[in-house]
Amino acid sequence: MSLLTITDPVLLGFAEEVGTAGDVAVEGGRTRWSFGGEASPTARLVAAPTGVVSYQPDEMTVQVRAGTTVADLHAELAKHGQRTALPERGGTVGGALAVGENAAESLGRGPIRNALLQVRYVSAEGELVTGGGPTVKNVTGYNLPKLLVGSLGTLGLMAEVILRTNPTPHTSRWLKAEGVDPFAIYNDLLRPGAIMWDGTTTWVLLEGHGVDVDAEQQLLAPHASFAEVDGPPDLPAHRWSLTPKDLRGANAEVHGSFVATIGTGLLFSTEPAPAQEVAANIVEVSERAKRFFDPTGRLNPGRNPLKARV
Amino acid sequence: MDLKLDPDDLNTCVQCGLCLPHCPTFRVTGEEAMSPRGRISLMREVQEGAPLTNEVIESFETCVQCRGCEPACPSNVPYGHLMEQARETLAEAGEMTPKWQRLALKPLAQPKMLEFGSKALSVANKFNLVPSRLGLPSEIPANQEPLVASGDDVYLFTGCVMDAWQRDVHRAGQRVIEAAGFGVTPTNDLAPCCGALHAHAGLTGETRSFATSMISALADKPVLVDSAGCGAAMKDYGRLLGTPEAVAFSERVFDIGEWLAQHVDRLPEVTPLDLRVAVQDPCHLRHVQKVHDATRVVLRPFVREIVELNDDGLCCGAGGAYSVLQPDLAGDIRDRKVAAIDAVSPDAVASANPGCSMFLGNAGVPTVHPMVLIDSALRGTIWPN
Amino acid sequence: MGVFDRVMNAVQSRNPGADIDPLVADLAASLSADRVRTDGASRSLLSHDASVFDGGVAGPVCYPETTAEVQAIMSVAEAHGASVVPRGAGTGLAGGAIPLGKPIVVAVTKMNKVLEIDLDNRVAWVEPGVINLNLTKQLAPLGYHFAPDPSSQQVCTIGGNVANNSGGPHCLAYGVTDAHVVAVEVVVPSGDVLMLGGLEAEPLGYDLRGAFVGSEGTLGIATKVAVRLTKNPPAVRTLLLSFSSVADAANTVSGIIADGMVPAALEVMDQRITQAVENYVHAGYPTDAAAVLLAEVEGLPGGVALDAERIGEIGRANGATEVRAAESDEERALLWKGRKTAFGAIAQVKPDYYLHDTVVPRSKLAEVLEQVYAIADTYDLIVMNVFHAGDGNLHPLLVFDAREDGVLERVHQAGEEIIRASVEAGGVLSGEHGIGVEKQKYMDAMFTDADMEHQNRLRKSFDPACRANPGKVLPSGHSCADIQALRKVPTGVWG
Repeated sequence: MSLLTITDPVLLGFAEEVGTAGDVAVEGGRTRWSFGGEASPTARLVAAPTGVVSYQPDEMTVQVRAGTTVADLHAELAKHGQRTALPERGGTVGGALAVGENAAESLGRGPIRNALLQVRYVSAEGELVTGGGPTVKNVTGYNLPKLLVGSLGTLGLMAEVILRTNPTPHTSRWLKAEGVDPFAIYNDLLRPGAIMWDGTTTWVLLEGHGVDVDAEQQLLAPHASFAEVDGPPDLPAHRWSLTPKDLRGANAEVHGSFVATIGTGLLFSTEPAPAQEVAANIVEVSERAKRFFDPTGRLNPGRNPLKARV
Repeated sequence: MDLKLDPDDLNTCVQCGLCLPHCPTFRVTGEEAMSPRGRISLMREVQEGAPLTNEVIESFETCVQCRGCEPACPSNVPYGHLMEQARETLAEAGEMTPKWQRLALKPLAQPKMLEFGSKALSVANKFNLVPSRLGLPSEIPANQEPLVASGDDVYLFTGCVMDAWQRDVHRAGQRVIEAAGFGVTPTNDLAPCCGALHAHAGLTGETRSFATSMISALADKPVLVDSAGCGAAMKDYGRLLGTPEAVAFSERVFDIGEWLAQHVDRLPEVTPLDLRVAVQDPCHLRHVQKVHDATRVVLRPFVREIVELNDDGLCCGAGGAYSVLQPDLAGDIRDRKVAAIDAVSPDAVASANPGCSMFLGNAGVPTVHPMVLIDSALRGTIWPN
Repeated sequence: MGVFDRVMNAVQSRNPGADIDPLVADLAASLSADRVRTDGASRSLLSHDASVFDGGVAGPVCYPETTAEVQAIMSVAEAHGASVVPRGAGTGLAGGAIPLGKPIVVAVTKMNKVLEIDLDNRVAWVEPGVINLNLTKQLAPLGYHFAPDPSSQQVCTIGGNVANNSGGPHCLAYGVTDAHVVAVEVVVPSGDVLMLGGLEAEPLGYDLRGAFVGSEGTLGIATKVAVRLTKNPPAVRTLLLSFSSVADAANTVSGIIADGMVPAALEVMDQRITQAVENYVHAGYPTDAAAVLLAEVEGLPGGVALDAERIGEIGRANGATEVRAAESDEERALLWKGRKTAFGAIAQVKPDYYLHDTVVPRSKLAEVLEQVYAIADTYDLIVMNVFHAGDGNLHPLLVFDAREDGVLERVHQAGEEIIRASVEAGGVLSGEHGIGVEKQKYMDAMFTDADMEHQNRLRKSFDPACRANPGKVLPSGHSCADIQALRKVPTGVWG
C-alpha cells in the first residue's frame, strides 16, 4: 500500500456518503446558503466531517476537517496565540473556503485564498483527491487548492484541509474618529489591520507589538482625535466587490448605508450589489473546468460561482 | 573550430544568467545571443565543433567588451579574456576583423600619420563630410601646442587617439598633478599607443608588441593614464606578457584619478565650480580597473554637487571603436544612458574616458573629463568657458 | 536596420533556394521578420535555461512586443498544430523553459515596460519581460516594492515569477508571487485573451488567476500582470548568528517561529557555502562557523528592536556563538549579496553542481539535514546547504566535477534519496523552483494517479489540445506529458 493511500475511516466514510452517483449538495453552517444560487431541491444533503486532526503551532499549520466550525477552529488556535484568515460568521471551515469571502479585516489577515495549503476533497467520481501540500511553501504541481476556494463545491466536496495559521498580534486596538480622510490614513500607516469608513466615521484597527500600536496611534493624532472603541461597526448585509480606488467614490446615493473597507475594495451595503459581467472567454474556461471535474453535474447542482453575489 | 579557449575558464560559467542585466547589448535587445551567457555558450559550442555561422560571429562582434558582466559574476568567469582570445583566434583565422579595420588601426601606432589623419578628418568634419554616426566631436582640434615635461616624478601617458583629439585633457591633467606638487613627464613619442583597440579587435599580437616597447621605454616611476580604456589595457600587460617586468610595470600604472585620490589633500583649497556634476563611470574604470570611486574623491572638493546616475554603471555604448562598428546597437545603448543622465539633469557629466566623452558629447550631453573641471576650478576659470 | 536584420538578409540572400518553412513564413508575417529567428545559434541558445538540461530543441524563436503579437503567434501555432513555450530570462532551475518537441519559443524579453503604477489601487501593471529588481527600483522613490525576491531577482522577469510562483528569502513574511499577483492578462492556446482575476476585492468565479500562477507556462502566456505593491518598512534590522552546528541553527529557526514571530527572512548557510560566498563578497561572514543564520526583521522601529532582541536570545539559548547586527545599509546589502549569489559562487569549489529544492516541516529541519549530509557521504559527494530556513525550504547543493567517471549516477541517486527523505518527513518536492522536466518522475511520491488526473483537468480547462509548454509538470502517462523524456542531471544550476 502506498504511503499516499488515505486510511482515515472518517474521510473514507465521507467519500462513501458522497458516493459515485446522484446529485449531492454539501451543507455547512448555512450562513451563505443561497450564495451563487439555490441548491437543487432534488440533491441529497451531505455534511463534511468535523474535528481538528493535528495542530502544530511551531509549523503554523493546522489540519482540520471541513465540517469543523471556524469558531471551534479559532478557539483551538487561540490557545497557542494563533488565528487564520477565515472569516468568523458562524459557518464551517469548508463553507468559508467554498464561498471564498474574505474576512472584513483582510487587510491585516490576508485574503482567504492564501490560507489553504492542502485540500482533500471528494470528487464527482466519489474518490478522495489531494491537491496542494502540507508545508507553508510549495509549488509542486497545479494549484488545485486555489481553484477550490470560492468554487461553491462545484468541483469537489472538501473533506479535510491544511490551513496556514498566523500569530495573533500582541496588541489589537480599534480606534474611531469623525471627519477624517480614511485614504490618507491608509497611506500613513505601515500595515493597518483594517480601516473602515461609512462616509463620515472612520474606524482603524492597529495591530502588532504594543510599542508599534502606540507609535501608529501617534501617527494618527494629526488627522483627528481618535477614541478607542471595542470593535468595528456593524456591517450591512450586502457585499460589493469594488476596487480600492472605487471606494473613494462611495456615497449614500449609490451605495445606500455603507461601510467601506479601505485598501481592499470591499464595501458592505444595505443595497444589493448590481450584477457583475463576466467575460465570455472566462465563462468558457470555467464551464470547461466544471465539465472536466464534474461531467454529470452532480456536485452542488444549482450553484454557480459566476453568479452575482447576494 | 578550436577557439583556443581554456576549457576550465569556459566551465566556470554555470549559466545562472546573473550577468544578463549588466550587459548593455542584452538590455537593449533582450536577446540571449546578445548576452554574456549566450556568448559563452556559443564559444563553448563552437569550440566543441558547432559550425561557426554568421550569427555566432555577429554575437561576438556585437559585444562592447565593457566587461560589466564580470563584477556581476559570482563564479568569476574571466569573460573579457575569453572574448579577447576568441576574437584573436577568429581574427587570425580570417573569420573576423576585416582588413579595413586592421588598416584603420594601423595609424594609431604612428603619431604623425594619426595627426595627419585627424587634421584631414577635422577638415572633412567642418564640411560635413564625416557621417555623424562616427561620433566624432563637432570640433576636432586641428592645431595644438605640444605638452612639455615639468619634472620626472610621474609619467602622463598621452597615447594616440586621445592625444590627437583631446590634448586639452592631458594639459589639464598635467596642470592638476603639478598643482599637487609633482613634476610630470608626458610620454609623447616614448609610448605612442597602448594597443587596447587592437586587443578588442582580436589583434592581440600587436598589443603585445606595443606593451613590450612601452615597458622598455618608460623608466621606473608611476605611469598616470587619463583614459580609462588605455589604463585598463596597460594594467593588463602583466597578464598579457606574463613576464616579471610586465607584472611590475602594470603595478605602477594608475588611472590619473586613482593616483590623485592619494594626494588630493595636496591640492589648494579653491572656490568650487558652481556645477551639478553627474559622474559617468567608464566601463574600463568601473568594471575592469574598479577605481571609479576615486573620480568622486578627487572631484568632490571642486564642484558644488555630485549626482549619481541610477543605472548601475551600465555602458554608454562607445566601447572604443564599437560605436563606429556597431552604430545601431551603440545608439540604442547610448539612448538608455542619456535617459539616465536626463533623469538627474546635471550641468555637466564627468567622464574619465575619451571614447565615452566623445560619444555622449555627440548626443548633446555636456561631457567633460574630471581633470578639466578640477583644472578649471584651480585656475579660477568657469566651465564651460 | 538592426544588426540581425542585416544578418538575416545576408543569410537569406546567400541561400535563395532554401525552403522557407510555412510555419516560419506565417510567424514572420504576423510579427516582423527580424523578430522570428530560425538560425542555429538563436535556437541552440534558447534550447537551454539555467538548468542546463540537454535535449531541448527549439523551433522558431519569436520575440513579440505586444499582446496582439502573442495572440498572432498563438493563432499561427494553432493553425499549424504547433506548440509554444514561453520564456523570460531563462533563469529557471527545473527546466520549465526547455523546449520539448521543437516548439515555437516565445521570448517575452522585449515586452519589458512598466505600463502603469496605480497607487490608488496599490498595483503596478507590467509587461511580462520586466525584470523583478528593476520594478522594485522603479518603485523605490514612491516608497513601495514588489515583495517576491528570488535570488535571481536582478535578472528574472515578472512573467517568469508568475509562471513559477517564485519565492525568495523575504517570502517568509510576505508570501510567494501568488500573493502579489492581483490580475493577469493571458493569451491561451486558442488565441483568446483572458483577464484572470481583477483589481476588485473578490472577483467572481473560480480563481483562475490562482490556478494560472505557478502553472509553468502550461496554461498560456502572460502578457500583462497587475502586481501588488508593498509598502517599504521604515525600519529593518539584519542579524547574523553563528553556530557550531547546523542543527543549532535549525533549532533556532524553529524556536523563533514557535515564539510567535514571523521575521521578514530566516536564511541558513552551512560552513562550506559560507566560505565560498565570503571569498566572493567579502561581507564579513564568519568562515569558521559551522552554520550561519541570516535573520531579518522589519516594520516599525519599536517592534523591530524587540524582535531583534528576542531573536538574539533564542539564538543564544540554542548555542549561538556570535550574534551580530549589520551596522549599516552597506553591510546589510553585502550580506544579502552574499546570500543571493551563493549558488553561483560554488563554481569556485567544483565546476558543476546540482541544486535541490524541497520543503520540509520546520520542526524536521535538523533531522532532514542530518540525513542529507549522510546521503552525500554515502555517495562520496560534497553537499553544501543554503536554504530558506524560515519556511523549511531546503536547497541542498551537490557539488561535483562532471568529468569524473560515474559521478553523474551518484549525484542522481543521492538527489533522489534527498527528495524521498524530504517527502517522507512530511515535505514537498519543490518550494519555489517548480517541477518542469526535473521532478516529474517524483510527482508520484506526493500524488496518486487520481490526484494528478485532477491536476490534468485543470490544465485541460485552459489548454485542451496540449499546445502550451507540453511535456512539463505532470509525469509520463498523463496527457500533455508524453512529448519527450529528458533524463539528464543538469550540470550547473543555481537558485
